[in-house]
Amino acid sequence: MSEEASITDSGLVSAAPRVAGWEEKAAHFLLTRSPLGYLVRRVARLKASVHTKLLAGFFIVTLLFIGMGVLSLQTIAKMSSQGQLLDEAHERVHWSQQIQHALALQMNFTAMALLLRDEATVENILRENNRFNNTLARIEKAAQPEQLQLIQRIRAAQGEALTTVADIANLVRDGKVEEAMRLQLNKEYPLYVQIEGLVNQLVQREQKQMDGLRSSVAAANRQTLILMASSAAALILLALLLGFVISWSFILPVQEAHGFLSQVAKGNFATTIKVPNRDEFGALAEHMNHMSEELHRLYESQRLAAQQLQSLNEQLQRASKAKSDFLANMSHELRTPMNAILGFVEMVLDDIYGEVPPHLKEPLTDIQTNGKHLLRLINDVLDLSKIEAGRMELVLADYSVQDMVDTVRASLQSLALEKGLDFVAAAEDDIPLAYGDGKRITQCLMNLVGNALKFTKHGRVAVWVEQRGNELLYRVSDTGIGIPKEELENIFTEFQQVDTAVTREFTGTGLGLNITKKFVEMHEGRIWVESELGKGSTFFFSIPLRVNHGGDT
Amino acid sequence: MSGKTVLYVEDNEYNLKMVRQLLARTSYRLIEATDGELGVATALKEQPDLILMDIQLPKLSGLDATRRLRADPKTAAVPIIVITSFALSGDDQKAKDAGASAYMAKPYSPRELLQMIRKLVPEN
Repeated sequence: MSEEASITDSGLVSAAPRVAGWEEKAAHFLLTRSPLGYLVRRVARLKASVHTKLLAGFFIVTLLFIGMGVLSLQTIAKMSSQGQLLDEAHERVHWSQQIQHALALQMNFTAMALLLRDEATVENILRENNRFNNTLARIEKAAQPEQLQLIQRIRAAQGEALTTVADIANLVRDGKVEEAMRLQLNKEYPLYVQIEGLVNQLVQREQKQMDGLRSSVAAANRQTLILMASSAAALILLALLLGFVISWSFILPVQEAHGFLSQVAKGNFATTIKVPNRDEFGALAEHMNHMSEELHRLYESQRLAAQQLQSLNEQLQRASKAKSDFLANMSHELRTPMNAILGFVEMVLDDIYGEVPPHLKEPLTDIQTNGKHLLRLINDVLDLSKIEAGRMELVLADYSVQDMVDTVRASLQSLALEKGLDFVAAAEDDIPLAYGDGKRITQCLMNLVGNALKFTKHGRVAVWVEQRGNELLYRVSDTGIGIPKEELENIFTEFQQVDTAVTREFTGTGLGLNITKKFVEMHEGRIWVESELGKGSTFFFSIPLRVNHGGDT
Repeated sequence: MSGKTVLYVEDNEYNLKMVRQLLARTSYRLIEATDGELGVATALKEQPDLILMDIQLPKLSGLDATRRLRADPKTAAVPIIVITSFALSGDDQKAKDAGASAYMAKPYSPRELLQMIRKLVPEN
């Protein structure tokens, strides 16, 4: 019980953030301070569907109003029967008064008969007597039991009075007027007085009874009215209470769900929803709890995953930093001994230590060539590592395309001459100053020309640069061995050369093209190749004349 | 008549030896220092005519040493050739910014280095 009460409280409290109107305050008061709260929970706990509960509620209200209708009909019937009783009493009073009248006439006619001594008057007495008797019979028939004795006494006295009248009439006919008058005076007159007293008593009684009945009817009517009004009020109150109980047994779980869902929406998955309902709302609450648990589980696993990702990311960043530091150090550490090796060889070949014997010139030149090759490999590997680590940055500045072409020609002219190749390097006239990392672009061009010279035994290698709109198009063509179609796609991939046989003949890292592609892409350009096996290849790359920003790989 | 003085700040003994032998047949007099701190101290003390400064040195980097020498009036005008790690890595720009008169990428050709020295400080 107390647990349920607290649940109801929490349900209302959690719905409280909305500004509560007076209706809601009243409902809250009723639910927490009256047995209605208990009733609401009882209704909620009923194991029946919402539909059934609503149907039952409407049915009960309908029954209550039908009951009220029946009660009103009964009251109307009772009131009309009381009216009838009053009518009857009224009639009896009327009849009693008629008897009174008839008696008076009877007495009057008897007295007249003594004076007039004619038969017609005697007839009148008999007629009034009959009228008296008929009326008395009617009263007797309608009379209450307690009146019957009085009526018997009246009848007996009347019978005696009639006998006396008959005697008086006979005495009058016989002329014995004196005797008749004495009889009338001594016997008939007291009898009539007695009868009159009895009739008066009857009239009074009937009158009294009628008055009593009238006042009791009035009281009953008043009572009925009060009863009707109070039962109507009670029925309406009952219907209202029923409506309140049923509706709040539905509103409470909805408010509870509202509070619960707003908690869930705030990310508080620890709350659960508890409703006493064992209907659709109960099932709904259970589903919501499942949903919340599932959300909580998902949220937790997602949070955990995010944490793991975060720490992984930090590890990666540390590793990347370490790698980049290592590369920077390594670059210098490798170059320092290379500097001594190449420097000393050059000095020996330059005869700084005295003239070199002719048979040593070739092995010393081989050391120099391979040393330079080793240096290029080191440079390529370090460049690529830097690019892969995302640590390669372009150094952007104005550069002259013509100067760049001149540099490439000057650097590689001797190699082409050695191989007996035709080597041309030129750029379109009046190309304006370009903007980008001139040294990296020179490196790209050197890589491509170096490759072309390497893979070409006869014929020519040509470099041409032209402006196309806002782009510079670089072209390096050769009449070398060419590239098979199926290899064209892979040619720019790391460590890829046309085939192992070629690799044996033309040594190289296979990194040059890959680095070239990366640098071109960092300049927001693109690189591609056209080639025919055995006839030669042409490499193209185009980059913006003026690069907007130094992109990372 | 004594020749011009060249200070070489370098921690690798073979490179020192190489430049020593390179300059042995010229009139240049070589003095040496094996870390950045020593390099700055020697330069201030000896007032060389030219300084060869390796970029990566113990105690004080070649760039910082160059900056210190440039900040000191006694050495502010001495030509300094900075030996960079790799011409393409942006080191040349850093060397220029630090106040180098010229730079030479490592590995350098002794022949070219000598040409550069002669260009900056001609032999007597």
